[in-house]
Amino acid sequence: MNYQTPSLRRALAADYAIGLMPLAARRRFEQLLLEDPALRLELAQWQESLASLTAALPEQPVPDRVWQGITARIEPQVLHVPEKRPFWNWLRITAAICSLVIAVTLGVLYNRDTARYSATLLTADSQPALKVEAHEDYLKVEPLTLAAIEPGQSLELWAIPPDGKPISLGVIPAGGKGKVELSETQKALIGKPIALAVSLEPKGGSPTGQPTGPVLYQGALAAL
Amino acid sequence: MNGTTAHRELTSACNRHPTLRTSSIWSTAISIADADQLRHLLAQCSLGDRRAFETLYRSVGPRLHGVALRFMGRPDLAEEVLQESFVRIWNNASRYEPHLSAPLTWMINITRNQAIDQLRKHRDRPLSDLEEQSLVDETPSAHEQLNSAREASALNRCLDSLEGMQRQSITIAYFQGMSGAELAEHLAAPLGSVKSWIRRGMERLRRCLES
Repeated sequence: MNYQTPSLRRALAADYAIGLMPLAARRRFEQLLLEDPALRLELAQWQESLASLTAALPEQPVPDRVWQGITARIEPQVLHVPEKRPFWNWLRITAAICSLVIAVTLGVLYNRDTARYSATLLTADSQPALKVEAHEDYLKVEPLTLAAIEPGQSLELWAIPPDGKPISLGVIPAGGKGKVELSETQKALIGKPIALAVSLEPKGGSPTGQPTGPVLYQGALAAL
Repeated sequence: MNGTTAHRELTSACNRHPTLRTSSIWSTAISIADADQLRHLLAQCSLGDRRAFETLYRSVGPRLHGVALRFMGRPDLAEEVLQESFVRIWNNASRYEPHLSAPLTWMINITRNQAIDQLRKHRDRPLSDLEEQSLVDETPSAHEQLNSAREASALNRCLDSLEGMQRQSITIAYFQGMSGAELAEHLAAPLGSVKSWIRRGMERLRRCLES
């Protein structure tokens, strides 16, 4: 379907806002929304127009079990083992739990690979763009809403200490998701009060060792 | 169409005016004061702040629960929808764009979309007699809902400017999450007419609200 005609985009956004699309079409439209800010704007205008339809709905008290259900969903590490199971099933679960405990213990003992610091880098108009988590030996980066860049360019991550001279932490993998390995000197920076910034550089990173392109995103690194 | 409008105005003039006027002014005052705080809480959630999330849940939970219950009609289904909506709010807080929509509108739409998805799933299987009845019963309450909503907003004037079928199909689609085909069946009208009522009605509504 051609989503580029303004009148069709407007009509589709209206259909979605009012709830008229069949399930498959809804899913397709939601995919389009993710990468199309203008379509999100169109939809938001319809939604604001219709919002007052729900204004008169009465509030309903919420039972405690709902919050418990929510926390269980956003903390998936809590194990829910059903009560009655045949013996062999228990054996399987016990074995699985034992190996999980061993794996976690080993992980904690040898890797200590939990994120210790994190930062959400924002654009100039305060939109979240990139999430950075600092682990022992590397930084994990995850795109939120990254701007598209040319094939011949790279995004480079910088640490900015209080004295102000940026130190390169490395180039962000294409697409924005992945790891940036840290050297010993870079590791020493993490944990000090630094800000992170991302600049647009030629492919492979700044040739001078200092930012040469515009700073697109920035944010402070905070302990978790 | 003229008859319906006159009847509605009469009802609202008799029963609803005095109480709703005050309560709508009051709730508008509250929602304006809260918008900044909700925006701030959502920003904190996007940074992973669980305490902010709990505060957010306590302040908008009952409101979203009301929306979920209006759509699902059954407390157990409404709770499922509410739970799923908050999981989505937590996971998507960083996607909230404050310049596009008010925080409460954004959260209500997450709840509505969740409810619509669930309603669609439930409608895919045949309805029992009891459910069939409750679906039929819902039409007048959709209109009651509309009547009280009309008191509370500028939508009042604009909905009045629509033709009867435009207004009716928009409200039913909005509150029951019906697809075009389902709506055509529900209103016993050709799909083409239903689509054009909604399309023209929505455009007129929007022009009126923007003017």
